Amino acid sequence: MKSLFIVFDQGYYEQILAILNFNHVRGFTRWEEVQGRGSVAGEPHYGNHAWPSLNSSIMTVISDEKVKPLLDELRTLDATSELMGLRAFVWNIEDSI
Amino acid sequence: MNLYESAVKKPVMTSLIFIGVMIIGVFAFNKLPIDLLPKIETNTIMIITTYQGASASDVETNVTRPLESTLNTVSNLKNIISTSRENRSIITLEFDYGQDINVITNDVRDKLEMVKSYLPDGVQSPIIFKFSTDMIPVIMMSATADKSLPGLYKILDDKVANQIARIDGVGSVSINGAPEREIQVYIDPVKLEAYHLTIESIAQYIRMENVNTPAGSMDVGNQTYSVRVEGQFKESSELNKIVVGNANGKTIFLSDVATVKDDHQERLQESFTNGVQGASIVVQKQSGSNTVKIANEIVKQLPEIQKNLPTDVKLNVLFDTSENIKHTINGLTETVLYAFFFVMLVVLFFLGRWRATLIIIITIPVSLIASFIYLGATGGTLNIISLSSLSLAIGMVVDDAIVVLENITTHIERGSRPKSAAIHGTNEVALSVVASTLTIIAVFFPFTMVGGMAGVMFAQLGWIVTIIITVSMICALSLTPMLASQMLRLDPKHSKAFKTIYTPIERSLDKLDNNYGRLVNWAARHRKKVVGFAVLFFVLSILPGKFIGTDFIPPQDNGRVAATIELPIGTKSEITKEVAVRLEAEWKKKYPEITMINYNVGQASSSNVWGSLQTNGSHIITMNMAMVDLSERKRSMFEICDSIRSNLDAMPEIQKSTILAGGGMSMMGGQSTLDVEVYGFDFNQTDKVANELAKKLKSVDGLQNINVSRGDYTPEYQVEFDREKLAQNGLNIATASNYLSNRINGLTASLFREDGEEYRINVVYGPEYRQSIEAVENILIYNSMGQSVRLKELGKVVERFTPPTIERKNRQRVVTVSSTVSGTTIDKAVAGIKDQLASIETPSDVYTKIAGTYIEQQDSFKDLGILLLLIILLVFIVMASQFESLTYPFIIMFSVPFAISGVVIALLITGSTLNMMSFVGIIMLIGIVVKNGIVLVDYINLNRERGMGIIHAVVEGGKSRLRPVIMTTATTILGMMPLALSTSSGSEMWKPMAITVIGGLTVSTILTLVIIPTVYSIFAGSGVKRSRRKMRHAFHAKQLDQHNK
Repeated sequence: MKSLFIVFDQGYYEQILAILNFNHVRGFTRWEEVQGRGSVAGEPHYGNHAWPSLNSSIMTVISDEKVKPLLDELRTLDATSELMGLRAFVWNIEDSI
Repeated sequence: MNLYESAVKKPVMTSLIFIGVMIIGVFAFNKLPIDLLPKIETNTIMIITTYQGASASDVETNVTRPLESTLNTVSNLKNIISTSRENRSIITLEFDYGQDINVITNDVRDKLEMVKSYLPDGVQSPIIFKFSTDMIPVIMMSATADKSLPGLYKILDDKVANQIARIDGVGSVSINGAPEREIQVYIDPVKLEAYHLTIESIAQYIRMENVNTPAGSMDVGNQTYSVRVEGQFKESSELNKIVVGNANGKTIFLSDVATVKDDHQERLQESFTNGVQGASIVVQKQSGSNTVKIANEIVKQLPEIQKNLPTDVKLNVLFDTSENIKHTINGLTETVLYAFFFVMLVVLFFLGRWRATLIIIITIPVSLIASFIYLGATGGTLNIISLSSLSLAIGMVVDDAIVVLENITTHIERGSRPKSAAIHGTNEVALSVVASTLTIIAVFFPFTMVGGMAGVMFAQLGWIVTIIITVSMICALSLTPMLASQMLRLDPKHSKAFKTIYTPIERSLDKLDNNYGRLVNWAARHRKKVVGFAVLFFVLSILPGKFIGTDFIPPQDNGRVAATIELPIGTKSEITKEVAVRLEAEWKKKYPEITMINYNVGQASSSNVWGSLQTNGSHIITMNMAMVDLSERKRSMFEICDSIRSNLDAMPEIQKSTILAGGGMSMMGGQSTLDVEVYGFDFNQTDKVANELAKKLKSVDGLQNINVSRGDYTPEYQVEFDREKLAQNGLNIATASNYLSNRINGLTASLFREDGEEYRINVVYGPEYRQSIEAVENILIYNSMGQSVRLKELGKVVERFTPPTIERKNRQRVVTVSSTVSGTTIDKAVAGIKDQLASIETPSDVYTKIAGTYIEQQDSFKDLGILLLLIILLVFIVMASQFESLTYPFIIMFSVPFAISGVVIALLITGSTLNMMSFVGIIMLIGIVVKNGIVLVDYINLNRERGMGIIHAVVEGGKSRLRPVIMTTATTILGMMPLALSTSSGSEMWKPMAITVIGGLTVSTILTLVIIPTVYSIFAGSGVKRSRRKMRHAFHAKQLDQHNK
C-alpha cells in the first residue's frame, strides 16, 4: 500500500480525475484550494492579487502496482504545460482500518 | 458555487436564461412608443379670474394681489407671474421641474378656496388651467376650397373634425379661418327712424315669427290628431317677408328697413396656404397620449376622409410633428447600428479571432435589450435621450467581457482546459471587473437623482446606462465564461487568407507595444521633464477655453418657422392681409427653401380653442412656414430667419415682429431667449427704462426679436354719458349702453335652423352706418315712454387710450424686454446686455434683472456642477476601496485634467459651445477616463507585488495593458463616432455630447498612458525612499543604543 499525494494547478482537476478513474482508483481525498510554490521554477499559487492562481491537492492510497502507471500518466500530463505545475509524491502506508 | 462556476457548468440553463431575457426585451421593444423627448411633466399652472367691468389697475389691486399673496405660500413655487388687464387677471405659477403637478394643483385649489371670500363681489370663481407640452399641435392641415368656401366650416366640422376627434388620443380639433355661417339683418337707421322702429322691436318680431308651437291634440272620429304650428323659417329669404309694423295703413316688411344677408360672421380670421384661401385644421392631443401614434392614425384616415368631401375641397397636411420625431429617431437608430458595427471591427482587429469576437459582441444585444425591459416596465419611450444612451453605452458594455475573455485566453494558452480556464480565469478578474463597473455606475447613477430641468432630461440616461452596464457585468461574469468554455480552442487552425491579413496587423501591434515600453521607460527615468511638459500642456490647452461660449440646449434645425407680425394697432384686416400677401410673394422668391407658407389674419372667434390661445387681432399676421429637409438645403433655418428679420426691420409699416426658428413647437431645441426684467411700480419710469433698453439692445451683436412686453396703449372710443341728462330722459347707463351695443355689435334675434344645425340671426346696423363718430352720436335711444333721444344729447364720444395690461412677477410690477439669441452664445449676449444695462440710468426704485434661458442655463449648470463634484467623490471612493489606498486613486485622478484639455481642444476645433449636453459629456468622461488608469495602476501594482522593481514594474505593466486600454478606448470612441458625425435632423442635440467625450477621451488616453506610469513611479519612489530612511534611522538608533551601552 502506498499513498500518493498529488498537488496541481486547479485547472488540471478534471484531467487528473480522469486518470484516476482510468486506473481504477476509487478512493481519494481532495483539498479544493491549497496554496504553494514550487522549489525550482513556476509561478506561485497563492490566490491573491499578485498570484491569483490556486492549487488543489489529492491524496489517494493505492496498491503498489498501480503507482507506476499512475505516475507515468501524471508525468505526461505535467509535460503538456510548463506553466501550470503538477507534482506527485509517494510514501508508504504502514497500517489502515 | 459562484456565478461563473455554475454558468460554466450549466451551459443550457445559462444560455436559456439569457435567451429568455432577450425574448422579453424584444417583446417590450415592440410595444415601445416613439417620442422626441422623455415625458416632461408640466411645471406651470395658470389661474384665470374674471372681474367684469373692472379696469386693469382695479383688477390688479382687488384680484391679482390678494390671490398672489395667498398663492405665494404654495410649496416648491419658483416664480409667480401675473397679468392684470381689463376684466381679467391671469396668474401663472411656475414650479420646480420634477414635482408632482397633481399634488400641487390640489394645494393651489385649497389656497384659492381660502382666499375666495375676500375677493370683491362680482368676481367670478378663479379657474385653474394646467398648461403643458400637450398643447402643442400634433398635426396642422390646410383645407382649400373654391365653390364650397362659404360652407367650408360646416363641411370641415362634419366630415373632418368629427372624424379626427374620434381617433383615440386626439384632444381637440380646431378649425381656423373657415367662415361660420351667420344671417345678417343690416338695418338702415334712417328708415328705422322714419317708421319709428327700433332694433329691439325688430329682433322681437323675428323671434316671434320664428317659432314652432305644439297646440295640443284633438279627436276626429276614431283618431287623435296633434295640432302644431310650424312657423320656423325654412329658408333665410323668408325673413324678408316678416311684417315689422304699419305706417299710414301700409304694411312694413323687414325688407323695407333692412337687407337680409345669408352670410358669415363679420369679424373672422382668414387663413391662407401658399396664397390660396381656405381653412386650417389644428389637431391637439390629449395629455399623455403618443404623438406619433395619433399622427400615423390621422394620416392613415385622410384618404378616406378626402373621399367624402366635395371635389373642390382639398386637404393638405401642413406639418406633422411626428415627421420630425420619426426622422430624428431613425437617424439615431442608424447611429446605434453603426456604433455596433464599429465596435465589432475594433474587437476583431485586436483579437484576430472570430470566435472570441462573437463571444464579446454578443454582450451588446443582450445588455441593450435588457434596457428595453426597463423602458417597457416604466412606461418610457424610445426618444433622443434613451437612444443616445444606448449609443453611448455600446462602446462600454464590451469592456468587461474583453477583460474576462482575455484572461481566459491566457489560461488556455498556458495549457488549461477551456472549462477550468473559464472558471479560474473569470475568478481571477471578477473583482476588478466589478470595481470598474462600479466606477461607471458611480458616474451614471447620480444622474437619476439630479433635480431641475437637467434631472428631467437625464434621469433616463442615468437609469439606462446603469442598467446596461450592470447587465453587461453580469453577462461578462456568466455568459462570457460559459461561451468561452464552449467555443474557445487552443491554437485554432487559421486559414491562409486570415494569416496574410492578420500577420501584419499583429506585427505592428507588437511593435507598438515595444515602442510604448521604451517610451514609458524613458518617462519613468525623466520624471521631472515629463511632469513639466504635462503641466505646460494642460495650462496651454486650457487657456483658449475662454473663447468657448456657453449655451443652454443646442437649437435644432427642424425646418419650421413661426412668425408673428404686428402692424400698428387698429390696422384694418384688409390692409394687414395685403401686407401678408406681399411678404409671402417676396419670401417665396427669396427663399426657395420654403415649401409652405400658411398665415392667418384677423380676429379669431371665441369658440376656436387654438386660435384664441394665439395672439390675434385685425392688425396681426401669424405665419407658419415649413422648409425642405435639412439635408436638401444649404442655408440653415437660423440663417434664413436672420435674413427674414432684417427684411422686416427695413419695413416701416411693421411695428413689431417675432420670428421663431423651430416654430415654437417644442420646449426644447428652440432658440435661446434672453429677457431683461425691469421692476418698478411707476409705469412711466419703467416704460422709459424699458424702451431705452430695447433701443440699446439692438446694438448688441446676436440679439434679435427685441420686444417690450408692456403693450401699446390701445385707442378706443369711449362714450361718456351724462347721468343728469340720462335721468331727465328717464334712462340709465345700463339701458343706454345696451342700446349702443345692439346697434354696433348687433343683437342675436333668434336662431335659424337648417339640417339640424343652428345659425345666428344677427340684427345690426348696416356696416356703412357704423363707420364714424357721428354715426355713433346719432344713435337714437328710446325711453320707457317711447320718446327718442339722440346719443349726443345724453353724453359725448371721446377717443381715449386704454392703459396697458399690468404685468407682475414675484409680486412686483415688471416690464420685460425680451430677445432671441441668434448667431452668438449666451455668455457673450449676456455680457453685451450687462454692458448696456450699466450705461442706462435707472431711477432709484426701478431695478433690472436678466432672465430667460440664461437663468435656466445657470440653474442647470449649477445642478450639473454639483453633480460633477459628487461624481468625482464617488469615483474616488470606489477606487480607494478597490485599491485599499488613498494614493493610487489620487494618481489615477491625474487623467481627469487632461480630459478637460481634450474637451477644450475638441470644442474649439468643431466650433461647438459648452452647453448642457457637452457638460453632461464632461461628467461622463470622468468615469470613462479613470477606467484606463485603474487598469494600468492595477497591473503595475501586481507586477510590484510579484517582486519587480518600480521602473521594471511600470514598463512591463504598461506594455501588457497597452492593448486592452487602447481596445476599450477605441470601442468607446468609435462607438460614439456615428453620434458625432451624424447630420440627421435632431443631431444638434447629441452631437456636442459625443464630441466632448471623443475629444476628452482621446487626449486623456494618450497622455494618461505616459503620465500615470510617471506619476506612479514618483509616488512609489518616494514611498520606497521613505521606508528606507525609516530603516536607516532604526538601524542608526540601534547602533547608538549599543554604543551607549
